[in-house]
Amino acid sequence: MELNSSPKKQASYASLRNINPRKLRSYKEFLLILPFLILVALFSYFPLFGWIYAFHDYKPPFPITNDTWVGLKWFITIFDNPVRLKNVIRVLRNTFIMSGISLLFSWFPMVFAVFLNEIRCKPFRKFVQTVTTLPNFISWVLVYAIAFSLFSTNGAVNSVLQQIGATTEAIPFLTQTDGIWFKMWLWLTWKNAGWAAIMYLAAISGIDEQMIEAAKVDGATRMQIIWHITIPSLLPTYFVIVMLNLANFLSNGMEQYYVFQNAFTQDYVEVLDLYVYNMSMSGTGMYPLATVVSILKSLVSVVLLFVTNTASKLIRGEGFI
Amino acid sequence: MKKFLALLLAVIMVLTMAVSAIAEEELLQITIFDEAANYHGIQTGWFAQVVKERFNIELNIIAPQVAGNSVFATRAAEGYLGDILIMDKASFADAIAAGLVKDISDALPGMEHLQPFMVQINSYNKDFGEGVYYGIPAEMTDTSPVTLTAELVGSQPQLRWDLYQAVGAPEIADIDAFLDVLAQIHAIHPANEAGDPAYPFTLWPDWDNNDNMSGPANVVQLTTWYGQKLKNSAMLMPDNTFAKITDREVAYYKIVKMLNKAFQMGLVDPESFEQGWNEVCAKISNGQADVIWYNWEIGFWNSQERLNNGTAFQFIPVGDQVYYCDADPFYGSARVWGVGNGIDEETYERVIAFLDWYASPEALVFQHCGIEGLTYTVNAEGKYDVYMDNALMDNLPVPAPYEGNYQDGFNAVNQWLCASICTNPITGETYDMKFWASYIAKNMTQMKSEWMARFDAQNAVDWMKKNGKLLASPSVSFSPASDDNDHALIRSEINTSLCKYTWQMIAAPDDATFEALWDEMVAELEGLGYDDLFEYDCEKWQPEVDMKIEAAAAAAQ
Repeated sequence: MELNSSPKKQASYASLRNINPRKLRSYKEFLLILPFLILVALFSYFPLFGWIYAFHDYKPPFPITNDTWVGLKWFITIFDNPVRLKNVIRVLRNTFIMSGISLLFSWFPMVFAVFLNEIRCKPFRKFVQTVTTLPNFISWVLVYAIAFSLFSTNGAVNSVLQQIGATTEAIPFLTQTDGIWFKMWLWLTWKNAGWAAIMYLAAISGIDEQMIEAAKVDGATRMQIIWHITIPSLLPTYFVIVMLNLANFLSNGMEQYYVFQNAFTQDYVEVLDLYVYNMSMSGTGMYPLATVVSILKSLVSVVLLFVTNTASKLIRGEGFI
Repeated sequence: MKKFLALLLAVIMVLTMAVSAIAEEELLQITIFDEAANYHGIQTGWFAQVVKERFNIELNIIAPQVAGNSVFATRAAEGYLGDILIMDKASFADAIAAGLVKDISDALPGMEHLQPFMVQINSYNKDFGEGVYYGIPAEMTDTSPVTLTAELVGSQPQLRWDLYQAVGAPEIADIDAFLDVLAQIHAIHPANEAGDPAYPFTLWPDWDNNDNMSGPANVVQLTTWYGQKLKNSAMLMPDNTFAKITDREVAYYKIVKMLNKAFQMGLVDPESFEQGWNEVCAKISNGQADVIWYNWEIGFWNSQERLNNGTAFQFIPVGDQVYYCDADPFYGSARVWGVGNGIDEETYERVIAFLDWYASPEALVFQHCGIEGLTYTVNAEGKYDVYMDNALMDNLPVPAPYEGNYQDGFNAVNQWLCASICTNPITGETYDMKFWASYIAKNMTQMKSEWMARFDAQNAVDWMKKNGKLLASPSVSFSPASDDNDHALIRSEINTSLCKYTWQMIAAPDDATFEALWDEMVAELEGLGYDDLFEYDCEKWQPEVDMKIEAAAAAAQ
């Protein structure tokens, strides 16, 4: 009986049958991503509530109330003292230089991965990869312990130099400021290069073997294969990594500079993250100011991300977001 | 079969959980929010056994010094810092204002071992209102506010006796003469026995800005040689006025200048600018340091053997110096004990019982003397004899019924209610073994008698008293306020800048560079607001100075 009901009703059934399954499916699929949306909301958006501390005169253990509201006071604080402003400018200079050097040499892990991949003897290749990856898991405090025992005034390097008669006076490697930025980059690379190369090694293993074999048949040398096949295949990965690093231009972490800073090098290695730590976290805990700087950093990062994405669209014809 | 196995495992799991839940009900875990601790986690080893067998509690220590200061902010935001609180007086006052501390006036009369200290406890709590008791001062003594029990003051020049003898044991008139002696010592002792380089001064920058004092600890701990004590950023002068450290007449300049002179003479370890306390500590133990100043530093060198063979460190006076020191902490140290507000009734009772025991002679012997049969033995007169005094240094195994090693199980709370110079009613001597008759007899070495003959005094403090070179500051019950954010910011900037320039000045190659750096530093400090901070600190510490003047006048009457 029901099958022969009015045409109107039939149409509505049809619409139910036609639309609902699709809608249902989209709901189901939405449920699949819901956990991730919740995670993002919880761990990426909810903490933004903490920005409120930048606008209060917050001091633990007292909770923030209407009375502690100070508006933009801490934002203005950064700029209202000429000596402080001079320090901030110096710190920004260091941040830009350190990030700039990293960016300038960002091809290094890629080239390292390419050459690593060319090692024919498999056990040796595994050995090199393990040895270069391991430092990534050593904390900066231990890295400094190593640096201290090697390069301190009575350290191993100075002892050797003096014993072979290369120098008579000990060289204060850790307190002298010549080439300090480059030295910092060397330590960073020593620690990170192997780890950063993993991404490129994965990309290399994704390169179509047929292309390489075809090139070999055509008589290409190893260098030619690297230059014309491997490197171009790695460039998309490289660009994404560079862009992401660019967005993080202002954050180069504080641990490395914290352990290597001393009264002499401080003027050159105090980067933004370390400055915030030195100023706000050591001792009394100036949370509002630390929050202000992190807000400013986030804003700069977002702007940089959009700028680089647009630049990428203009230059390469595609963005990466 | 698989199903059966899974079921069996599930049943076992539920049973073990139930059993452990029952066991946990009996054992109580007490959380101690402890700003003095250098260990974060549950107390283990012999001291844990001592506490457990008496109270069936275990101590969970929350240590901001290890976990970071943010643990204070997060726990305060949660509304409960811990069952027992051990905090700096300034942050404790904030915690009281934020309602995080419980009034313990109901329990205090029942704590029999604290009754002898009610003068001090009343004095600390007098401002909180009638009959309200929040805190018990840490490390109180049973002496008096003006007594000085110690043999050494907090900081004074100490040289190796053998090296001082070797350069002719000259009279030292002033800093220049002192540096001359050091230069001679360095010439005859350029390396230790193993051949590692030795220097008169080996410094460490990782204690900069500690103990409520701006600047490198290695500088501000030496200004007390001229009777000047830094209070945050203001220098308290011998005449009880405050002076700016940017003034060249103040001892801060004098000490930095001295260290720079020493550096120019090659008497400062070049590693001083890059090493930390751990490296220095190892160097002192290896005989690579010829000068020490803290009273506790002798612990890293002066062993019984070295006291016997005359190679130990001894106080050597410098003629123009007057030594500042704090008298016995009668009213307690800078920290205070309390109980967390919101603690449940049962835990509260057990916490109070534990705190009462913690001030008892039995507990104080465990805290200050150690374990019978390991660090001391009881002699025929019922007094204590020092036994293995290397137990802590060498982490010796502890005797039964305790398990593990001595240092591993050492009291990690690292704070006391009663100081070690209190008198132990069992022996009639102090808990501190340095004042035991048996210890003093054992230490009457040839070196000690030589020193006594040379300086005509029993010990360093005795010499200072006899010669009018001691500036003992009476103990008072004073709690400084914590910084507001504006001044906290200026302070951290000034501290950073002050330390940076000070270290650069110590390493200045010549006097002209030194002076240029000093002028540059003063300009930067003033630009950052030093004058404002100085005023703020003077205001903050003036009440304490007034109380000290009053206490000294009362004692003189």
